[in-house]
Amino acid sequence: MGNTKVNLQGEKKAEEKATTVTIKPGEQLDWETPKLEDVSEQVMAQPYIRFT
Amino acid sequence: MANRLDSLRAPLFVSWQITRDCDLCCLHCCTDSAPGKRLPDELTAQEAMRIANEIASNEVPYVMLCGGEPLVVPHFLSLAETLGTAGVQLKIETNGQRFDARVAERLARLPIRSIQISLDGDSQEVYARQRPGGVLAKAHEACRAVRAAGLPLEITFAPTRLNIHEAEAVICRARALGAFRFNTGKLMRIGTAARLWSKVQPSAEQYEEYRAVLDRQANILGREMEFCYSPFTLGEALSACLTEPPATLLVLPNGWVKVAAALPEICADLRRESLTEAWGAYCGAWRDEAVLAAVQRAAVDELHHSDANNWRRLAISKV
Repeated sequence: MGNTKVNLQGEKKAEEKATTVTIKPGEQLDWETPKLEDVSEQVMAQPYIRFT
Repeated sequence: MANRLDSLRAPLFVSWQITRDCDLCCLHCCTDSAPGKRLPDELTAQEAMRIANEIASNEVPYVMLCGGEPLVVPHFLSLAETLGTAGVQLKIETNGQRFDARVAERLARLPIRSIQISLDGDSQEVYARQRPGGVLAKAHEACRAVRAAGLPLEITFAPTRLNIHEAEAVICRARALGAFRFNTGKLMRIGTAARLWSKVQPSAEQYEEYRAVLDRQANILGREMEFCYSPFTLGEALSACLTEPPATLLVLPNGWVKVAAALPEICADLRRESLTEAWGAYCGAWRDEAVLAAVQRAAVDELHHSDANNWRRLAISKV
């Protein structure tokens, strides 16, 4: 498999523009830790979760 | 196509169906739950605790415990406490039949975002017709126990042709009981509801009237109680997922992980794989052309949703 292009949208103010980096297979991403403030909108946008 | 999933090292949210067993046999159930419907291979208490610890160590911020009915599971409170004491915020979905002051007081020590109770009717007759075996007074008492313990209460209402005429009364009841949010949407064509579709699906006219009720009550009560009914249909939500897949994992009672609620595809098995591996498989599934085609089909035709509980293992996963 070839390299994977991944869009990293950091939340730091200094990184307002999304950056595209090339990830080689097996290479570690600089991942974001999930944050609670990001959750509600995604949860409420899913009827199955919202009102099962 | 790259999306935000690829930048997160763990999901934002885990919706965890901890059992398929339930003490009610609701006609609208989307999980095929009912008394005695526990899966033969559900996670043991020990396995569930291991996964809970993994969720916490991966800093997943928010978990919903649901079912079936989560309170029929003997290790439900231990599981909630394992997650909560580790700092994971919790939402509990319950029918309220077993939720009493003792349960509320134990949960009140944890970081609870909300307790969600289903009120699918405002009269015992209608409630029990849709939720055979259910006692509406117990559900109301559970709501009061939630508020008495200082916990946030949200109410959910699944509209069917059996109960939709009582929706407005349920909205007023929800507010009177101190709910901060009222959740609803179009009845989902999944599980028991799909099998009984001709008996339970509201008519187009009933939906039109229902939407008008929701808009009117949102105008009247919107400052006191949040109204959540958008997106109204699973199809609308699936369409949005094609642009931005949700960073949420849906975990089934046996530890399997679904790609999407309305689809049957399974992308991982938390009994055999770590949460990190499962998250990687989930992110990979949302790049898989066959999965994306299935999502597109399900987004435009709800008939495809009725197959959602006939789980199928995806070839790309390590299940």
